[in-house]
Amino acid sequence: MSDALQSLSRFLPELILMGALALVIVADLVTQRRPLKDSTNLLNGITLAGLIAALVTSWQALGVGEPQSLFASMLADDGLLGVLRPIFVLTSIGVLLLSMRSKELEGVRLGEMLALLLTVTAALMWMAGSVNLVMIYLSLETVSVASYLMVGYLSSDRLSNEASLKYILFGAVSTGAMLFGLSLLYGMTGTLDLYGVRAALAEGTFGPGLLFVVILIAAGIGFKIAAAPFHFWCPDVYTGAPTPVTAFLSVGPKAAGFAILIRFFYLGMAEPAGGGAIAPVGGADWQMLLMILAVITMTLGNVAALLQTNVKRLLAYSSIAHAGTMLMAACVLSVDGVQAIAAYLAIYLFMNLGAFAVVILAHRETGSFEIGSYAGFWKRSPLLTLAMVIFLFSLMGIPPFAGFLAKWYVFAAVISADLGWLAVIGVLNAAVAAFYYIKVLRVMVIDQETGPTPPLALSRLDVGLLVVLVVPNLLGLLFWGSLDRVTEYSQRLLDLG
Amino acid sequence: MESLGVAAIFYGTAAFMLASAFYVVLGRNLVHCAFALMGTFFGVAILYVYLGADFLAGAQVVIYVGGVLTLMVFGVMLTNRIYNLNLSSGAIQVVPGALSAGLIFALLVWIIQSVDWGAMDSGDPGPTSESIGRLLVGDYLLPFEIASVLLLIALMGAAMLVRRRRGSS
Repeated sequence: MSDALQSLSRFLPELILMGALALVIVADLVTQRRPLKDSTNLLNGITLAGLIAALVTSWQALGVGEPQSLFASMLADDGLLGVLRPIFVLTSIGVLLLSMRSKELEGVRLGEMLALLLTVTAALMWMAGSVNLVMIYLSLETVSVASYLMVGYLSSDRLSNEASLKYILFGAVSTGAMLFGLSLLYGMTGTLDLYGVRAALAEGTFGPGLLFVVILIAAGIGFKIAAAPFHFWCPDVYTGAPTPVTAFLSVGPKAAGFAILIRFFYLGMAEPAGGGAIAPVGGADWQMLLMILAVITMTLGNVAALLQTNVKRLLAYSSIAHAGTMLMAACVLSVDGVQAIAAYLAIYLFMNLGAFAVVILAHRETGSFEIGSYAGFWKRSPLLTLAMVIFLFSLMGIPPFAGFLAKWYVFAAVISADLGWLAVIGVLNAAVAAFYYIKVLRVMVIDQETGPTPPLALSRLDVGLLVVLVVPNLLGLLFWGSLDRVTEYSQRLLDLG
Repeated sequence: MESLGVAAIFYGTAAFMLASAFYVVLGRNLVHCAFALMGTFFGVAILYVYLGADFLAGAQVVIYVGGVLTLMVFGVMLTNRIYNLNLSSGAIQVVPGALSAGLIFALLVWIIQSVDWGAMDSGDPGPTSESIGRLLVGDYLLPFEIASVLLLIALMGAAMLVRRRRGSS
């Protein structure tokens, strides 16, 4: 019991989020009969205050104290969780602000949406900290259930319903496969603790059965990070979901999925080999498995993105491709790979949310998600176009934008691990990616709109939001030092390095 | 002789479960399928007893047979449109489906045979509820709490979906 009480002091951001959740539910009930605007403002305010408090506490906790296991080895409070917590909270804050400006969510009661957003933020933190098979499954399921509900939030919208149903069906199959894999792993090793799994795997030989187990579990993780061949839900769900939810799905669950990937493979399926390196145990070649997944995911995402005419679908495939790039870093077998993923996620948060912010603001005016409807945007709103140029160049990974830094980390880690061929495939993919990003920019800047071209109206909040999202992308290189220092904490994994 | 009897119970239960599971999948009448599902659920409960997990067996009967299944039967019976619905789930791609199912089955059998499962004999079965209770408020306190958060949002989500439908119609 004292262990649980002691753990609470390092569990503050999650506790704050749960407190805000309770407040939102009560406030939603109390303001049920009040005008929609009043109630929405109150609920948004509570959610934002809760998220900001969680951001402050998680930022203060970053890098303080030694890695430690919480709640009888259920969670690991180490550098990786420390770095990811602010990323999750920032994503949710961004999504909250975007949802205030989204035309799709206008005139809709948002009480449940905000409650789901708070729950899913806390659940992402549980996912990122899990070092127990039960915790991995439970936290993943909490994130999934909340995501299904957020995707289908607009229940009068057929596309939203269809997306939610597809998401549930794919999610049920892949988490089912993962659960089966986890229970087989438990049967083989006789323990639910990841460190216990590692010890048991190091002692015995398990042969091809273990590889089968790893593939089943990789299916569950691959579903969360939208890696091929577990990505089929991704384009339809991203297209059908309300756009702020799409923005959330493309960053939050992906980041937490990578955390579970790192914990499961680096801590559960490998032992420390000194100097931050790890050596796989148990005889299943999961490094090869991850490399295959990385190559398929990158290539498929980029090639399929070339054919898209809907900007949400395009960003869906682009997010698949980015997952592939991050998977490359997971093949490195040392803590350099972990830092590369953490740095990539931190930058990806700003560039991807930024791109979705532009999509949402454009949709307010044009009412369309087709790339063709962006024609003549340069004349209609130079500011919005300029922001999109920066976000997309950053997503391409072109210097001096921050996306270059993200790619730099990944390729540096991959090359230092003597995986040159993988880096070559990655670079080729980055070149392919440039085509479809530039296609969008060409429509915005060069193509002329045939009809009337009224200037786009941007409110002060819109401009502020765009500036906040643009600055990290634009000045990323200036803050290289601080980014490096912060993401370095992610290398301090519990019981490793 | 005793072990033969125990084995007979196991295989009898397994056969019963499989038969009712097949009926659930292949049956045409929704109500019959729901009742066949009860057979599968009871079979799982018997397997739990067989393994000495008394609490799980009880929970299985109370939750699945008493709760989930009753709810499903009520749902079917109260929705008069699907009561008489002829569920003929068309068989498409029989050959690839059977092939992949057979392949996965063979793979599973092979793996179950090849892996050393480190099975242990738990000795005489005794009451397990006390140790489960202690684990739930001890080592597994956090998963227990997170499960309650999961149930909370699932409940909220269900209420949300139902209310919207009614509001829009």
